[in-house]
Amino acid sequence: MIRTVIVDDELPARELLREFLSADEDCEIVAECANGFEAVKAVAQHDPDLLLLDIQMPKLDGFEVLELLDRSPIVVFVTAHDEHALRAFEVHALDYLLKPLSQERFQQVMERVKRAAGHHDRTSVSGLATTLRAKPLQRIVVRGEDGAIQVVPVSRLDYIEAADDAILLATSGTKLRKQQPLSEIATQLDPDRFVRIHRAYVVNIERIEKIELYAKDSRVAILRDGTRLPVSRSGYQRLKELL
Amino acid sequence: MATTRTALSRAALALYAVTAVTAAAAASSAFFLWARGASAGLAVAAALPPSLLLGIIALASRFLSNALPLRSASRSSIAIGHAGSAAAASGLWVLTWKSWVPALNQQFATHLAPDYSLLFGLGVVLYLAAVAVHYLVLEIEALREAEDEVLRYRVLAREAELRAFKAQVDPHFLFNSLNAVASMCGSRPLEAREMAQRLADFFRLILRLGALERITLAEEIDLVQRYLAIEQVRFGERLTTHISVDEAAARCMVPPLLLQPLVENAVRHGVASMVEGGTIDITATLEDHMLRIVIDNPADPDRADARGEGIGIENARGRLSAVSEGRAMLQAAEAEGQFRVVIELPR
Repeated sequence: MIRTVIVDDELPARELLREFLSADEDCEIVAECANGFEAVKAVAQHDPDLLLLDIQMPKLDGFEVLELLDRSPIVVFVTAHDEHALRAFEVHALDYLLKPLSQERFQQVMERVKRAAGHHDRTSVSGLATTLRAKPLQRIVVRGEDGAIQVVPVSRLDYIEAADDAILLATSGTKLRKQQPLSEIATQLDPDRFVRIHRAYVVNIERIEKIELYAKDSRVAILRDGTRLPVSRSGYQRLKELL
Repeated sequence: MATTRTALSRAALALYAVTAVTAAAAASSAFFLWARGASAGLAVAAALPPSLLLGIIALASRFLSNALPLRSASRSSIAIGHAGSAAAASGLWVLTWKSWVPALNQQFATHLAPDYSLLFGLGVVLYLAAVAVHYLVLEIEALREAEDEVLRYRVLAREAELRAFKAQVDPHFLFNSLNAVASMCGSRPLEAREMAQRLADFFRLILRLGALERITLAEEIDLVQRYLAIEQVRFGERLTTHISVDEAAARCMVPPLLLQPLVENAVRHGVASMVEGGTIDITATLEDHMLRIVIDNPADPDRADARGEGIGIENARGRLSAVSEGRAMLQAAEAEGQFRVVIELPR
């Protein structure tokens, strides 16, 4: 049995997938979701074999949903945008379906899904999904310890701090923890707005109030809210180049 | 290119003006002297230097004419300004005569002294003639600029039309709608048939209205309503619409497909970005000969990719400015999760 979760924000689109799937005796729908939040929850809850995933949805798009999954089902994107469909393979989606859906193509894809289901590795692909997000990153998705999902637009970031193998996203006084190396996110952010000023800090340059000499060869960046961040010598070079 | 040409022609014009005033002043004053018995050579030698000075002063009167434009300055200030400067210029020209002539020839100065009051009158007349020429040149330049402006608006209008034509309808709207039709075919064939019909009607209307120069706001609103009815099928309860158009506003003429792309934005980047959906509110009123159209919709401030909407709004602004020759206004603003576009178009 292929246990399937359908994700699409439009009811008629979900209905069509449901109709196609009901014709397939090997498939069972375990959840239907109308947005990305529900999708993340449903995958955690049901651990499905197959995720039929729309890309353009409110709050979380399909790529962001993948980034937040702990366990990875087989993913097939369902979209009207063929430019997104091409990116599907980069995040190791098995295949994609273009709207309006063709039943013949749907059946072909389901055959592929069944062949792949036997030897599919369910460990998370979220790392890959993260690396392959569109650049520069416009927003960062974070799942808290309680499972609550937060979407942080990069314009709201003050700075990012490395904390062991995770990062802390600082936004107006609060810090959100995300499991991701600082070096990875540093390369995904807009290089004209975010600078790595230190081994452990990436700063939003719009938040910098001034740079002060602290001791010989060591400087501190003082942010608008008074936060003081260390600036290494190479970090200072990068800042100077940008400003 | 155009500016260098204007600057060049201005320099040439200045040279002509100095030469013309100088020549006129020199010829007429030399004639006076000659008529009183001076030799022709002496008369010309005496007349040339003061005449050159008058020519240069007359050229400088351009700045005064610029400062006192015919269209906006009051008549009395123009009259007083130029009369005063004419008297001053002519006074200077007579003074130059008085100091130059004795230096040239003492005997000539005592026996054949020029008639200074006549020279003063001549100075005033020539100076005022120069002022008149300056005003004429200024008027011609203003006229040429106005023609350029009209031409610029026509080019803008053309470009905006082309862009609007390309961006009329997002093709993904068609793909998604066809997917909805496909979905209904199985369980609700009658609705599927109706949806197919609505799609066909909508695209037919786009083609028909798009070919016209101007349409009534009522026609544009009809198009928008057809569009929203199709989106309603896809979005279901997530999309609600509220449209209120004054009777007088409905009769106003607008460029075709002005609102449609903006409403499409309101759905695609607005309501579609909200998990719960929301209401698109369109109002149109006519007050004091000003047509005012407001489109309100909720939008997630954290939505990804907000670039597409910017293009749509720029296009609409370009077309509006083109059809109204710059008198219309389009403002887009976002605050507290609400996106609002305001259009003001003078009738």
